[in-house]
Amino acid sequence: MTSLLLKDVSKTFGRGTAKVNALTDVNFEATQGQLVLILGPSGSGKSTFLTIAGSLQTPTSGTVMINDQNVQELSAKAREKLRLNHIGFVLQSYNLVPYLTVKEQFKLVDKVKKSGNLSNQKLDELLTLLGIKELENKYPDQLSGGQSQRVAIARALYPDPAIILADEPTAALDSKHVEEVGQLLAQLAHEHHKAVVVVTHDLRLKHFADQIYDITDGRMTREK
Amino acid sequence: MFLALKEIKHEKLRYGLVIAMIVLISYLIFILTSLAQGLSSQNTSAIDSWQINQVVLNKDANVSLRQSFLTTQQVNSLKQGKDDALIGQAAVVVKHHNNSNVSATFIGIQPNQFIYKDMRLIKGHKVNQPNQIVVDSSMMNDGYRLGQWVQLNSLTQKYQIVGFVKDAKINISPIVYGNLSDWHNISNLNNNLAASGLVSRDRHYQVNNSDLKAYAVNTFIKNLPGYTAQNTTFEFMIGFLMVISLIVIAIFLYIITNQKLPNYAVLRAQGIPAKTLVINTISQSMILVVSGIGIGALFTWLTSLVIPAAVPMTFNLPVLTAVACGLMIMSVLGAILPVRAILKIDPIKVIG
Repeated sequence: MTSLLLKDVSKTFGRGTAKVNALTDVNFEATQGQLVLILGPSGSGKSTFLTIAGSLQTPTSGTVMINDQNVQELSAKAREKLRLNHIGFVLQSYNLVPYLTVKEQFKLVDKVKKSGNLSNQKLDELLTLLGIKELENKYPDQLSGGQSQRVAIARALYPDPAIILADEPTAALDSKHVEEVGQLLAQLAHEHHKAVVVVTHDLRLKHFADQIYDITDGRMTREK
Repeated sequence: MFLALKEIKHEKLRYGLVIAMIVLISYLIFILTSLAQGLSSQNTSAIDSWQINQVVLNKDANVSLRQSFLTTQQVNSLKQGKDDALIGQAAVVVKHHNNSNVSATFIGIQPNQFIYKDMRLIKGHKVNQPNQIVVDSSMMNDGYRLGQWVQLNSLTQKYQIVGFVKDAKINISPIVYGNLSDWHNISNLNNNLAASGLVSRDRHYQVNNSDLKAYAVNTFIKNLPGYTAQNTTFEFMIGFLMVISLIVIAIFLYIITNQKLPNYAVLRAQGIPAKTLVINTISQSMILVVSGIGIGALFTWLTSLVIPAAVPMTFNLPVLTAVACGLMIMSVLGAILPVRAILKIDPIKVIG
């Protein structure tokens, strides 16, 4: 089942001589149970892609479908709800609220999304799977980079979204932790049936991917 | 509220400092308000105790009891019912060899009129003979006692203190109540002058004499020497402090919120509604201010326990509650600036 579909998507910033084509005719598809990697250097349009795929902004032209909903037809509030219910973001930094313990990061989600979140039992299983069960009462500044990223992944999964969008999830990690996070993302896709889309320039994640897209100067091509 | 409480709990020092600042501001405002109230009540406590609505004075007296004199003919032209009372005012210095001198205001009254009848003494009895006086209870702090014969100004005639009355102050000076006939002697006036003025509980008291004028009691109070200037000064000080508290709260919240914007942007990206973050900021502001005001009120209460009786402070709970509410409104207004910053967050900026 297709969770995320971008069809002929273009995004332009500025006008006249200052016009920049951040994305040009991008076609992309991510289905549940797949880990999709989007590789590209800085300034290639990766972030623009992620913000459009995550319904944070709309494209200049083309169509974005998330779980069969046309994002352009939704109001800002409806897009907000869509993000809360169907998309889990794993970002490079500032992922976690610094004054909440690991446990409280999930409580915050409960405060705004009253139902449909993981049950306590499933959350425990997830935390055990991620190896962070014993960190429940720690604050983000008491966690290592790898632990923080795993908590951020758990936080993104807690509302039980169909799609996980990860922005450079291994940027600050050493090779050992890159392996861990890569395995985890693949596991989420394959065992938890999520559509996992990872935007990165970290080639060490390549062997975990089911699909790989390259993005250069706003143009996307499928590599695998 | 969840985020607000968790953050305050986690960032104890930072928010402790903000609360400490609000404590100092609210304490200062409470103390100034109490002082303003105390001084204001010392100006008018006697007038308040009379419960009057109108004051009749000589129209050329510039609304001042001190400058007003009513002749016998003018007094005879005035209605004098059960709600009306003649008074004669004179500035006196009360002297007794054992005590310090007290600058006071002599108020001559008549035993058949309401001021005399309604006078509530805390000690002794009312004046029932010439050369007797009832004085404000604050003079007990200066050593004056029942039965003492005191000298007024440089008069040879001595007056005996036969009673003490509470809240008998006008224009901050304690009142010495005596007979209207004694007022004549103290002021050394000719017999044609009968009183300084007439006070009435009648809201619609009519004066049928072109030389006299009836003033509403509020007009009379506003014209008490120094009263308006003093109150306006305090009102401005309290007003400015309120505005300063608004600015300080706004600046602190703005700085703190700005530091959190990257986190908020991530939360917005994750679908946390702006409303949640706005409520968090406003409730955080309220928690800080309520805590600050609470501690400030506690300090004010402790101050009231140790402050010397001579300091004119009145801790009026409804007034202080109104001031506290004013501060809370200021805190909500102060939260508007950071709220604006939250509403303008662009979650896209945290990606890439």
